[in-house]
This record gives sequence, C-alpha cells and structure tokens, in this order.
Amino acid sequence: MGNARGSTTLYVALLSLLVLGGSLFAGTGFAASLVIWVAINILLAASFRFVQLIGELNFAIAGFVGVGAYVAGVCTTKLGLPFVVALVSAALAATLLSLIVGYITLRTKGPYFMLISFAFTEVLRMVYTQIDYIGSNSGMLGVFPPVLLTDYYPTFVVAVVLLSLIVLYKIEQSDFGKVLVAIRNNDAIVQTVGINVHLTKVSCLAISSFIAGICGALLAHANNVISPDDFSFLLAVYTLAYIKVGGESHIAGPILGASVLTLLAQVAMGFGPFEHIFYGAAIVIAVLLMPDGLVGIIRKFLGLPPKPQAAAKH
Amino acid sequence: MKNLKQVYAALALAALASTAPVQAQEIIKLGISAPMSGAAAVWGLGMEWTAKQAAEKINLDGGVTVGGKKYNFAVVAYDNKYTAAEGTKVAQNLINRDKVKFIVGGIGTAPISALQSLSERSGVMIFISAWGKSVKGPQFPLTFTQSNTPFEILDPLYKYVLAQNPKAKTVAILNANDASGKEVELVAQKAWAAQGVKVLSSNWYERGTTQFQPVAAKLTEQKPDIIDLGVAPPADAGIVLKELGVLGWKGVKVLPVGTSATQLAQIGGAAANGTYMGYAGDYSSSLATPVQQILNQGMLAQFKEPLNPLQVSSYDSVYALKAAMEASNSIDPKKIAAVLPTLVFETSYGKTVFGSKAIYDSPQQMQVPVMITQVQDGKMVELTRIIPEELKARLAAAK
Amino acid sequence: MEIFGQLFINSLQISAAYILFSLGLTLIFGVMKVVNFAHGEFFGLVLLLIAILVPWLNSPSVPLVVAYGASGAVSILATMACGWFLYHFAFKKFQRDMVGSFVLSVGLSLLIQGLFLEFFGGVPIKLPDLIEGNLRILGGAITTQRLVLTLIALLVAVTMCWLIAATKLGKSLRAVSEDHEAAMLQGIPYRKTALYGFLIATFLAAIAGALLAPVTVISANVGSDFLIKGFIAIVIGGLGSIPGSIIGSILIAVIESVGGYYFDPSLATLAMFVITMLVLLVRPKGIMGNG
Repeated sequence: MGNARGSTTLYVALLSLLVLGGSLFAGTGFAASLVIWVAINILLAASFRFVQLIGELNFAIAGFVGVGAYVAGVCTTKLGLPFVVALVSAALAATLLSLIVGYITLRTKGPYFMLISFAFTEVLRMVYTQIDYIGSNSGMLGVFPPVLLTDYYPTFVVAVVLLSLIVLYKIEQSDFGKVLVAIRNNDAIVQTVGINVHLTKVSCLAISSFIAGICGALLAHANNVISPDDFSFLLAVYTLAYIKVGGESHIAGPILGASVLTLLAQVAMGFGPFEHIFYGAAIVIAVLLMPDGLVGIIRKFLGLPPKPQAAAKH
Repeated sequence: MKNLKQVYAALALAALASTAPVQAQEIIKLGISAPMSGAAAVWGLGMEWTAKQAAEKINLDGGVTVGGKKYNFAVVAYDNKYTAAEGTKVAQNLINRDKVKFIVGGIGTAPISALQSLSERSGVMIFISAWGKSVKGPQFPLTFTQSNTPFEILDPLYKYVLAQNPKAKTVAILNANDASGKEVELVAQKAWAAQGVKVLSSNWYERGTTQFQPVAAKLTEQKPDIIDLGVAPPADAGIVLKELGVLGWKGVKVLPVGTSATQLAQIGGAAANGTYMGYAGDYSSSLATPVQQILNQGMLAQFKEPLNPLQVSSYDSVYALKAAMEASNSIDPKKIAAVLPTLVFETSYGKTVFGSKAIYDSPQQMQVPVMITQVQDGKMVELTRIIPEELKARLAAAK
Repeated sequence: MEIFGQLFINSLQISAAYILFSLGLTLIFGVMKVVNFAHGEFFGLVLLLIAILVPWLNSPSVPLVVAYGASGAVSILATMACGWFLYHFAFKKFQRDMVGSFVLSVGLSLLIQGLFLEFFGGVPIKLPDLIEGNLRILGGAITTQRLVLTLIALLVAVTMCWLIAATKLGKSLRAVSEDHEAAMLQGIPYRKTALYGFLIATFLAAIAGALLAPVTVISANVGSDFLIKGFIAIVIGGLGSIPGSIIGSILIAVIESVGGYYFDPSLATLAMFVITMLVLLVRPKGIMGNG
C-alpha cells in the first residue's frame, strides 16, 4: 500500500507541475480566459462535491460564491486593499455567512435543504440588486488583479486551485472526512458515538464555503465585471453538471467533469441557446446513462472495482 | 492515471493552439452586443440586420481601401440578454476569441459597461447606444455613441408633449430595475421638473415579471396626468399600457424609449393609442432619405416591423467607420478614433458629424435628428423632427 | 375603498394562473415523490405551439375561436405525448428519488428551454384577444377574457379536488402518495397509478397553457417564469397536497398584488422567497402538507 500511495503522490506532483508550467504559456488572450474558467469551475465542482460527503446538495454555493466575489470586488475597487487581503476577506466572509446559514438550515435534510438553499441563493441575488453601493443591477466594474499578476493571472489561479484541491482531498481522506461520509450513510448512528452531528455538518458547509469564497474572488478578478445575475441558481446547476458528468465518487470527478464540459462548451459550441442545450443535455445524459460519471467509466476501463454507492434515496 | 496525464497534455496543447492568430487578411470583423431574446429582442435582431445590410453594400461597392489594400466587412453578433453577466461573456468572446477590433452596435447600459471595461483596455473601438452617461467621456477615447440618448431626447420630448397637453401637471414614472432604468430615471426626474411637472411617484419592476396588474394599479394610485414608461422594452410597455386601459385610466402616455408602434399596438391593443414615443421615426415617407426608405421596406419584410433609429444606428456606425478608416488611412482603432470627430461623413440620414463635447466633455455623440412620434390607430405617426443645432453649424462650416 | 376591490380582483386572477400550474406540480410530487423542475416546459410547449398554430390557422375563413380551439387541442395532445415519453424514458427510473429526479429535471428544463429558444427565436409574441371587453366587479376592473379564464381555472381546481376525493383513481392516487408500499399491498397498481398521476399533471399544465394563451406574452422561457412561482406555492402549501397548492397559490398571488401595490414589486418577490425559506425551516411539510 505504501508504494501505491507514494507513486500516486508522485503522479499528482508531476501533473501539477505540468499543468502549472503549461499555464505559464497561456498569455493574456482567450486561452488565458479558458484556463482560468476551467480552473475555477474545477474548484467550484470540488467545493460542491465536498458537501455531498454529508449527503446534501448545496445549491447555496452560488450564493456564497457571490458573497466572495462582491466582498473581493469591494476590497479591490472601493477600499483599495491589496489583492491578498481581498482574497482572504472574500473567503472569510463566505465562511462566516455559511456558519450562520448552515447552523439554521442544516437541521433539515435532503430535498428540504436543497429547496432552502435554492431559495437562499435567489434571495441573495435579489438583495444584491437592491444595493446601490455594489452597483445593483449594473454590476461592479473595474475589478482587476494587481499589476504584478496581470500577465500571470492564469498561473496564479491554477496554483490556488491546485492547492485548494489538495487541501480538500486531504480533509476528505482524514478522520474528519470519514466522519462526514458516516453521517451521509446514517447520522443517527454517528450521533450515538457522541459526535455532534449538527456542528460537524456546519463545519463541512463552512469548509466548502471557504473554498466557494475563494472561487468568487478569483472569478471577480478574472471577469473584471460582476453582477447579481452571475450568481444565480444557474451557476449551481452548471456546477452540478460538472459533477454529474465527472462522477461523484472521487475528487478526480469534478476535475474531469469541469474540464471536459467547460472546454467543449467554449471551444466547440460557442454560447447562447447552445449553452443551455449543451449543459442540459450533459446533465440528462450523465444522470440517465453514466451514474458514476467519467470517473466510473475510467474505473471500468482500468478494471478497478466500483466504489460502493452511498444510499441516495430518502 | 496515464489516461489522465494524456488528457492534460491534450488540454495544454489545445490551450496553446488557440492562441495562434486565426484572422484572414482581407476581412474586418464588426461585432455587435445586443439583446436578441426576451422583451427587447427586436432591438438586437434589427440592429444586426441593418449592420449586415451596410456591410454587404460596402463590400459590393468594393470594400474599404486602406493603405492600398481592400478589406471586406463581416458582422458578428451575439445576444447579451440585456444583463451584465452575459455582456461580459459576449465581450470576452468578441474581443478575446474572435479578435474583433470594432464593435458597431451595443445596447443595454449594463452589458455595455461590461464590454467597455474590456474594450478600452484592449484597444477596441466601440459604437454604442447605451443610455447611461457613465459610459461616455474623455476617459473612454475609443467609445462613440451613434444614436440619441435621454440627454438628447427627453427635454425636447417632454416639452413637446406638454405643449400638446398643457393641462397636464403631474407624472408617475415606471422603469425596469436595471442599469438603463436607473440612469434614465435620474435624467427623467430632472427633465420633468425643468418643465414644471410634479413627479408623483417613481416605480420599479423586476425584469421577468409576467403579471403587471399590480404595477398598473400602483401607477394610477395617485391619479397622475401623465405616465412615463421610461426604458421599458416594447413587450413590457405593451402589457403595462393594456393593464392601464383595463383600469380605465385615461391620461397622457409617454414612452421615451418607444421604438415602434407595432409591438405596442399588438400587445397593448387600443390602450396603446396616443402614446408619445421618443425613439421611433417615420422612415417610409419623404421625411426619410431614400436609403432609409429601402431599409425600412427590408425591415418590414424581414421582421414585420418598420425601421427605428436604434436599429438604423448600426448601419450608420458601419459607414462612419468606413469613412474614418479611409480618412486616417489606417485600420488601427486608436488612429481612427482620433480622426473621427473631425470628419463630416455620410450616413443613412445624409451628412453628419460627431459632437456634443459640451455635454460629455468629449465629442463622442453622433448628431442625428430627434423624432417625436405617436401611436395613432395602431400605427406610428411622426409629429416633429428636430435637427441638432451643432449639426447645422458644422454642416454650414463645412461648406 | 375601490382599491380593495381592485386588489381582490388582481389577486384572484393571478392566483387562477398559478393554481392551474401548481396543481400539476404537487400531484407529481405527491404520487411519485418526484420534484419536477421541468414541469414548466409542458406549459411553455403548449403556449409556443399555440403561438405558432393560431396565426397560421387564423384567416377570414377560419374564425378566431376555431383557430384557438383547434390549436389548443393539438397542442395539448402533443404535450401529453411528450409527457408520456418523458415519463417512460426518464422519470420512471427516478420515482421516490427526490434528489435524483430534481437533478434530472433541472437538466431537462435547461435542455428544453435551449431548444425552444433555438426553434422559436427570441421575440415574444402576443396573440389576439379571444374575448373583448372589460368589466367592473366589486369595484375592480378586469377583462372579460381573464374573468372567464379565472372561472374555468377555479372549475378545474374544484374538479380536481372532487376527483381526488371521490373517484377510485383519486383514492388510488391518495393512497399511493401516503404510503406506496401499503397501497401496493392493497392491490393498487403502483406503476399504472404513477403513470396516470404524471399524465394528469401534464394535462393540467397543458390546460393552463391553453387557457392562458390569449392573455400571456409568449416567449421561450415563459415556462420558467411561472415555474418558480408554482414551486413557491406548493412548498408553502405543502408538497403533495392539492388543497395546499390552492392555498399556496392564493397566498403568493395576494403577496404579489398587495405587496406589489403597497411596497415594491421587486420587494414582493423577495418576500416570497424569504417566506419559502421560513416555511421550509419551521414547517417543511407546508401548511396542509402530509409529506
């Protein structure tokens, strides 16, 4: 086992270096945007998947991404704070909000939690449109990364994403991660062992939201313009698509799903009505034909045993 | 794991490959960012159509000659869905992916602000119809407006309406809760006040609203003499007018951004009659130039709607661009932008210029006539046409 | 005082539209425990088909009423066929899987709307009025057409309630929604009942579309505009409860008309979502819900 673990780490390290190195060549044109979008989408999907460890669909992710984006935008444009401060504030703001919201809403489960998080995202979006300080419907303009990073922003984003993915993976593999999966399987049993299930769930959401906040900040500085419509329910749906296509059972799933879908959508199909058709079809096909996504297909291809599916029905 | 590595290698290669320049030598792409779906769809679709007409005509006539080389125009239009989010995507696709250097039409203050933050940085020249003041000024040297905005329309429009309805003393305003609405409402309030009319209420509705009865009830609550529908797109304005009719409100109806009687009458029915519009014009009679009459007939055939100033504006910007390219003998947006304000050039209206430095601190506004029209019996009737003073002066000086 | 009459009339006619819509939505949930986010697209499909057929049929030789009637019938049948198709190839596999069906239906909704936009184009269409004229009732103004529509909608709602309460099919539907295993033990054919439930729901959405065709501005995403409100209505009223969906629809119609009048239409929408969250937190089963 030790050897297999060691070689996996080596593979991952090599891959990371390759990807980082490749991103240095991205330049500042469309290729750069593409690399950034893929990277951010991967992290979004990973964040969403993290909450799936406790068996919940966190549609509120779009709301937390929005909080991160706006906080970062305000730090950079209105308060003139350094980029790093903006990034960290964004993550902290999202985490703080998720602690409050999570504490209240995680008492519910399954479809109810799903619907609440959906409503929450919409409420946040509408609140943004009412606040003139952040530009309400016209959006916030001029959110630029610091001058030093302008040419290397794609590399920076990829580095942050890689780091975050590693952290998420480590947490998932740790004892804490195992508790999360246990909660998904049967939280009553976990409660009997003396673990505070509710607080654990809230922590899980908080971790996911920290990452979501980072995504928001990165997104804001990549697009330079953010508006309430960027953080609607649709963002969560696209994230869901990445996971469904990629597969939920391994952290490689979000990576594969996000990369494949984002690249295909942008390069092959353009956008507009095609985007809706494309993502919609992707979800439908993935759900109907590939229950374990691309990861599942690769597992079959490599002859690995399928991972035991968690109980999905409530 | 090997498969994953190959996947990543392929991805990196694909990313590299897409940075290679793709543009052919002889074609200059002209971009358009406008709503092509939803309540404002006719605006964007019409704008794309007239731009393509202009491009075709120019290409047939031998294209644009710069530095001894001939270029043809090709129009690339994307739907910005009237939102900042989509506007950003459109901007990135036009400027970064399609490598467009000239945008000949843009509608919607929110998506256009998004476009502008990218275009000015990327050295791309844009012609827009956005109604906000925030998108113009010396800090945007590559931005030009080729159609009228509230600053040109509202004062003469309101003045005319009051002259025709001297007993009207109060107004209730309605606007969509978006960037365009917010900017125009400020101007409208000032403009009404300047005419001595009291603003009873300023109301907002969310885009995507389907049931307008509550909105109509709120508007008529204080029994205003005038109802100003601001920047509401044709489909929404039509429904509001209909509901106002159902409530039995009879007063003066003003739609500053009204572009055509057709959709208003189709959706609003008899209640649409009498509405004063500030953004429509009669392009079917001798009030219009022969070029415009032909365009008008084309629009009727294609969209069953007559031409309006918003749509014809992209035709004009294409021609303005051609003139400036040939005058500056360059396809570099910066050089062209420097030359443009000095030129007198041909558009569908005849000769015109860019000006209005007094209002915007920089001569970025194309001087075109303000036309006030009214819906009568389901049809649009042009009431008056005002030629800007600055245009008259420049044309006289050019002789 | 006149304003109260107007607000009452407004609430009534708005709720009629939402009631038809949410009845179907709640039925699917109750019987199949499926959250169908794509329900709005049945509504949209009917509207779009009618939008194409009516102008095509309407001519001096074919009176408007006949054009509407024929288009309505054809559209409803076509939509029912789509409903059957979707049930068999998609939703049947996800019964009682609320999360999976939600995800699937979200994908379907996105896909179908994209297709609508592609084939229908972006420009909204308003069809000619079927019945002309306005009326004043209780001090509030309403078009005759909307009054007729409201009455028909209420009739359909009442019929549905009777169907659920009195007929054998209705009892099967109720039994299945309360405890499908016990129902099967009683000899109730679950699969068939679920199919009927889905088809009835599709029919309700289709009828809603046909009735609203003369009074709505039709566009590719008209389905989702109504869907959100429909969802709010059934969550507040109780997922799976027929009387609940009626109460929920009336409640949000009142919020929309009264809130929109005294405050701001945007704030009214905000309030609706906040209320939805509160209901889900405090009483997730809704006002009348039985899970």
